[in-house]
Amino acid sequence: MLLALLISNSVGNILVERYHGVPTEERLHWRSFLVKLGTDNLKGAKNEELFVASHKSVYIVYTVLGDVSVYVVGKDEYDELALAEVIFVITSTIKDVCAKPPTERLFLDKYGKICLCLDEIIWTGILENTDKDRIKRLIRLKPPAEF
Amino acid sequence: MAQPLVKKDDDRDDEAEYSPFLGIEKGAVLQEARVFNDPQLDPRRCSQVITKLLYLLNQGESFTKVEATEVFFAVTKLFQSRDIGLRRMVYLMIKELSPSADEVIIVTSSLMKDMNSKTDMYRANAIRVLCRITDGTLLTQIERYLKQAIVDKNPVVASAALVSGIHLLQTNPEIVKRWSNEVQEAVQSRAALVQFHALALLHQIRQNDRLAVSKLVTSLTRGTVRSPLAQCLLIRYTSQVIRESGSTQTGDRPFYDFLEGCLRHKAEMVIFEAARAITELNGVTSRELTPAITVLQLFLSSSKPVLRFAAVRTLNKVAMTHPMAVTNCNIDMESLISDQNRSIATLAITTLLKTGNESSVDRLMKQITNFMSDIADEFKIVVVEAIRSLCLKFPLKYRSLMNFLSNILREEGGFEYKKAIVDSIVILIRDIPDAKESGLLHLCEFIEDCEFTYLSTQILHFLGIEGPKTSDPSKYIRYIYNRVHLENATVRASAVSTLAKFGALVDSLKPRIFVLLRRCLFDSDDEVRDRATLYINTLGGDGSVVETDKDVKDFLFGSLDLPLVNLETSLKTYEPSEEPFDINSVPKEIKSQPLAEKKAPGKKPTGLGAPPAAPLSTVDAYEKLLSSIPEFANFGKLFKSSAPVELTEAETEYSVNAVKHIFDSNVVFQYNCTNTIPDQLLENVTVIVDSSEAEEFAEVLSKPMRSLPYDTPGQTFVAFEKPEGVPAVGKFSNMLKFIVKEVDPTTGETEDDGVEDEYQLEDLEVVAADYMLKVGVSNFRNAWESMGDDFERVDEYGLGPRESLAEAVNAVINLLGMQPCEGTEAVPNNSRSHTCLLSGVYIGNVRVLARISFGVDGPKDVAMKLAVRSEDEGVSDAIHEIVASG
Repeated sequence: MLLALLISNSVGNILVERYHGVPTEERLHWRSFLVKLGTDNLKGAKNEELFVASHKSVYIVYTVLGDVSVYVVGKDEYDELALAEVIFVITSTIKDVCAKPPTERLFLDKYGKICLCLDEIIWTGILENTDKDRIKRLIRLKPPAEF
Repeated sequence: MAQPLVKKDDDRDDEAEYSPFLGIEKGAVLQEARVFNDPQLDPRRCSQVITKLLYLLNQGESFTKVEATEVFFAVTKLFQSRDIGLRRMVYLMIKELSPSADEVIIVTSSLMKDMNSKTDMYRANAIRVLCRITDGTLLTQIERYLKQAIVDKNPVVASAALVSGIHLLQTNPEIVKRWSNEVQEAVQSRAALVQFHALALLHQIRQNDRLAVSKLVTSLTRGTVRSPLAQCLLIRYTSQVIRESGSTQTGDRPFYDFLEGCLRHKAEMVIFEAARAITELNGVTSRELTPAITVLQLFLSSSKPVLRFAAVRTLNKVAMTHPMAVTNCNIDMESLISDQNRSIATLAITTLLKTGNESSVDRLMKQITNFMSDIADEFKIVVVEAIRSLCLKFPLKYRSLMNFLSNILREEGGFEYKKAIVDSIVILIRDIPDAKESGLLHLCEFIEDCEFTYLSTQILHFLGIEGPKTSDPSKYIRYIYNRVHLENATVRASAVSTLAKFGALVDSLKPRIFVLLRRCLFDSDDEVRDRATLYINTLGGDGSVVETDKDVKDFLFGSLDLPLVNLETSLKTYEPSEEPFDINSVPKEIKSQPLAEKKAPGKKPTGLGAPPAAPLSTVDAYEKLLSSIPEFANFGKLFKSSAPVELTEAETEYSVNAVKHIFDSNVVFQYNCTNTIPDQLLENVTVIVDSSEAEEFAEVLSKPMRSLPYDTPGQTFVAFEKPEGVPAVGKFSNMLKFIVKEVDPTTGETEDDGVEDEYQLEDLEVVAADYMLKVGVSNFRNAWESMGDDFERVDEYGLGPRESLAEAVNAVINLLGMQPCEGTEAVPNNSRSHTCLLSGVYIGNVRVLARISFGVDGPKDVAMKLAVRSEDEGVSDAIHEIVASG
């Protein structure tokens, strides 16, 4: 299960936050844990350089893209490698939508589109689509190209 | 053309700080949402408003019921628009709002229409939305379409239906299970993602059917799997099949060739999954391990941190069981100590500590010292624990390891970290005699500046036991006496006790200890003064160099030899008077005190937790009582004693309760009897037990009680034999048999002749819970994870209508006889679901953990999902049988 997807700006303000199967009372804890993880480690990181951690049986993969930091949390079959795959789809889609690693402003300008993309990538905790071109078509309700 | 574009971008950069959502406010956005009701819809404007709503929701803003309903109704109007972009937004918005059951009906018809639309993408999205908001009844209506969708030629539609199936399986398993054929077909799909989703769903549908899973794996490992993600799933399912087949012989292990083949797959994800699966095989041989270790070693020097992390994490696990297999990777691992990802560095260090040889210890310690300063406490604890085991492995290296521990003890750190270090030092002192003196001095230095009262008192207690036995006990006194000046009352009291222990064991120190103890008489705290007074009076000799009495030593170092509950009851009933409290008046045997608090839950044995001075618990008292009876001597070790079960009503002539003592091949019933009739004396008291409803039990002996005078409890025992290690259950009917003699109440004389009589008692049952010891764990999650899922068994049960959720939870806890952990036995009022964590030790000394999720379905029907992990497959199954037959 993909437990959480969190996107924040460079100072840790939340831009997108989605949880699946995480009790409401634990979400705040996860938010602050992830943001702290980012502030501790992401400073000076290169775009899309992956960072990884595990906390008990849960894995966390996170990265920075332009002005935003992206975190994904998973467990069981979504281990560090599967999460790396997920975060790759997310970052490449965001880059595609924004045409470059986004500034915070650019990210917010494209907010609606990004929400749609995320909806295509992760659906209630399960990875659904992995190809950015296909996702680009899907959010415009176009069938996939190879079909 | 290029010029203005650049300019525009420049403008944007100027306002980069300015957010399009600056000053966004829920109320205003809700007002804006009224545009959804316009007769002439403006799709662009509507999309913008939806984006704002999404932004609010993603920021954690919540809508009230009324607000959500209003927005939901407004959004449904947007189905009228033909704008594709807006329609996509509408789908997302409805999912985000998750409307309540009574509102769903508004959109169902629109969604059903979309679900049958000719436009594929409408179908896919409508399926996802419908499945998100649907309930059981609606699901049966749309089931036909979903089944079709699973085999739809458009992969997006098929995936949408399959992923919906994965979610719906949790809530409506019986419906989704009917889709097996279609899902099976989808597994063969040429579209990579469809295959991935179909495989996941098919496995979930069949997870309880071993044969079906085995068939699935057999067919797929021979065929082609298109996506790496699906291949990873297949590897996981394959290892499950291997595990369940229970085969450990080498050479012809089923599917090993498949796993080994996956090591040459082109996707790293698959290679890693296969390598990990091989390392986790039961009884894996070095020959089987080698290819897996080789690919993991390559990953160690990968440029991708995720791969390095995955590899080192797996090798770390392998090092626990096969340290020699990992030594080849040591050089790569050493270079990871400087990895900028601290998780990777910590894993590398702890792995090296497990695999390193004696000669590399010093070099390793040097590297670790530099590394410790920049990692968090939780990593440090892991390192400390690894160092502790390393030191026990190479005792000759204690000096450098002990130095390391004492150095980090002086640095900043939280309680758990400091406790881990102190525990490690204590264990090293215990196990490595040479390390004792230096270790004690390190602890002494630590308490000079220790902010944790708990640690100070524990160390003082430990010093009191070990310090006097060293070559020069006097050097510790200064550190201990400093506590009396500088600390809080709790620590001061501990220090006084420790001083007294030195005084008692080291006669030459006694006069000086007396001086110090006398000073403590002026302490501001009652307890400290009381202890000082007590010890001055007990040590004797008035401060001269004399040998301490054995009694005093026993008092200071021995165990209380009394059940604490009895002592507590006696102290409570003691009324202050001229006559001092006599400890000999405290009964040593256990009557019928409730045993609820017999074991402190959640205490892991730690270094400091084991000093021998602990008073006897009720269980120990039972053990002592039984071992004093020669007939039971060959029954072996007592596994468990139950709480007393009342076999008579309150206030009857004879009051009897029974304690069930469980041994490996025997069960002993201890009948605690009290005669409540003043003018009767009972003699030759026995209990006649009819075990016809307990087929596996055979009575081996009955130990009668010679006499039972008025109001003096006594015991009679009946012992049974049962198959060894088998948790046999049964029902026993009991009849109290005795000779009754009249007693003259005035003179107290007993008549010579008695009359034989009988008295019917209630039935006694031996149940499954009797074979389970309530042993808690302090951190359930840790225990659960470290137990692993090798012998995990999961199943679901319906408990039928129950009085309340709390009642149901309680009934299951009692049925299993396990220890609830982390307060999960308490169910909050009105909650509809609850998770209960249980821990215990099953007969045969097998640790068992259970995680039970309860849910209320309908008005009172309670259902539960029971996941059991244990160290033995048979035991996990046995726990499920207890529940299934209970």
